[in-house]
Amino acid sequence: MIRHHPDHNLLLEYAAGSLPWALSLVVAAHVQLCPQCRSQYQTMNRVGGSLLQDSEPQPLPEDALQRLMRRIATAEQGPDQEPVAAKSASTKNADPLFAKLPRVIRKLVDGNEPLKWKRVSPALRMSRLYTGQEQYEVAFHRIHSGGKVAEHDHRGREITLVLYGSFSDKDGVYGEGDFLVREPGEVHRPIATQDQECLCFSVVEAPVTITGPLGWLINPFLSFRPG
Amino acid sequence: MQAPESRDDDWSELLKLVGAERDRAAFERLFHHFAPLIKGFHHSRSTQAFSAEAADELVQEVMFRVWRKAPSFDAGKASASTWIYTIMRNCRIDMLRRNSRRQHEDGGVDVADIWDESADNQPLLFLQHKRNERDIAEGLRALPAEQSHVLEKAYMEGKSHSEISAELGLPLGTVKSRVRLALKKLQAILSR
Ligand SMILES: [Zn+2]
Ligand SMILES: [Zn+2]
Repeated sequence: MIRHHPDHNLLLEYAAGSLPWALSLVVAAHVQLCPQCRSQYQTMNRVGGSLLQDSEPQPLPEDALQRLMRRIATAEQGPDQEPVAAKSASTKNADPLFAKLPRVIRKLVDGNEPLKWKRVSPALRMSRLYTGQEQYEVAFHRIHSGGKVAEHDHRGREITLVLYGSFSDKDGVYGEGDFLVREPGEVHRPIATQDQECLCFSVVEAPVTITGPLGWLINPFLSFRPG
Repeated sequence: MQAPESRDDDWSELLKLVGAERDRAAFERLFHHFAPLIKGFHHSRSTQAFSAEAADELVQEVMFRVWRKAPSFDAGKASASTWIYTIMRNCRIDMLRRNSRRQHEDGGVDVADIWDESADNQPLLFLQHKRNERDIAEGLRALPAEQSHVLEKAYMEGKSHSEISAELGLPLGTVKSRVRLALKKLQAILSR
C-alpha cells in the first residue's frame, strides 16, 4: 500500500503544466501507480476545464476556421500521422526489479541507451537516465538487501520514487510506489530492507553533500550531472 | 439560460459526433465555442501569458488536435471542456518545450507520456461525473479572490508556485497555503 504521496501543491503544478519536465516525469510515474493521486489529478484537470469554460472569450482572426479546415483537409489526404503505438515491452531487462515499471519510466528506459550501472559505494549502484533537460539529475538507484547508503544532506531537493523493495531512514519505511521529497538541508541515511534489493527512481535538483568525516570518499552523489 | 451541466453535455455530444462520424458541422460549432475560450485562457485582460499572435497559433494547434483525437474522447471519463483543457495544456507544454530546446533528444519520452490525455482515470458514474463538473465550476466561483487568483496564475499563466510568489511578492508558504485552501474547499464540495 502506498503511504507517501506528492503533496497537493506539486500535483497541482503538474496538472497545470507548470512543473519542470524532470519533476513532472516522477510525479507522472507516481500517478500511474497510485489510484488516490490519479483521482486528485482528475479533479485538478476538471479545475482546468472549468477555468477554460469560464474564460473571457477573445475574438479570433477572421480566417481562423478556414485556415484550420484547410489544414485538416490536407492532413486527411495524407497518410495517417497519428503516432504509432509504442513498441511492445522491451526485453532488455529480464531483471525482476524492472518487471513492473510505470509506463512512463518503461518508455524512458526503452528510449535510453542500455543502463550502465556504476558502483558508487559497497551498497549502492546508480545508472543515469537521459531526459532532455538540464536542471535535474535523473537516475535509478539500486541498494543491496540490507545495504546502507552513506549519510548525506541535500543542498537541493531530492525526489525519490520507490519502484521495487523498500528502504527506511530515520523518518520511516518507504515501499513500492512511495513518493518522498527531501528538502535542501535535510540529512538522512537510507537503509534497504534485509531480504530484498531496492530500486528507486530519483530526481535531484543540485549536488548533495556527505556530512560525516571522509564523506567525500563515499559520497555517492559527488558528480552531479543533469540530463 | 441553460444550466452549465447541460451545456457541457451538448459539447460532449458534439465531440462524440466528431469522433464517430467525422462530422464537420459539429466540429465547427465546437470551434466557435471553444476557440475564443482557448484564446481568452491565454490572452485576455487578466491573462497576458501569450501574445495575441502566439495565442492564435496555439488555438490552431489545439483545435487541430481536437479534430485528430476526437475518436478517443470518452464522455464517461471527462467532460468536453476538461478533455480540451488537457489537450490544450499538453499543446502549450509542447510549444514551449520546442522553443526552448537545444539540440538534445528527449530520452524517448514525450509530452503525451507524462500527461496522458486518455489517462486511465477511473470512469465515474455518469451522474456523479455531471455533478462534479457543475460543483467544481460553482466552487471555483465561490472562492475568495486571493485563492482563485493563484489558481488562475498557475493554470492560465502556467506559473509555478515559486514564480507566483516572486511575482506577487508573497512568501512561497502563503502561495502554497492559498492553493491548498482552495483545493480543500473544492474537495469538500465534491465529497458532500
Ligand atoms: Zn499517491
Ligand atoms: Zn538522499
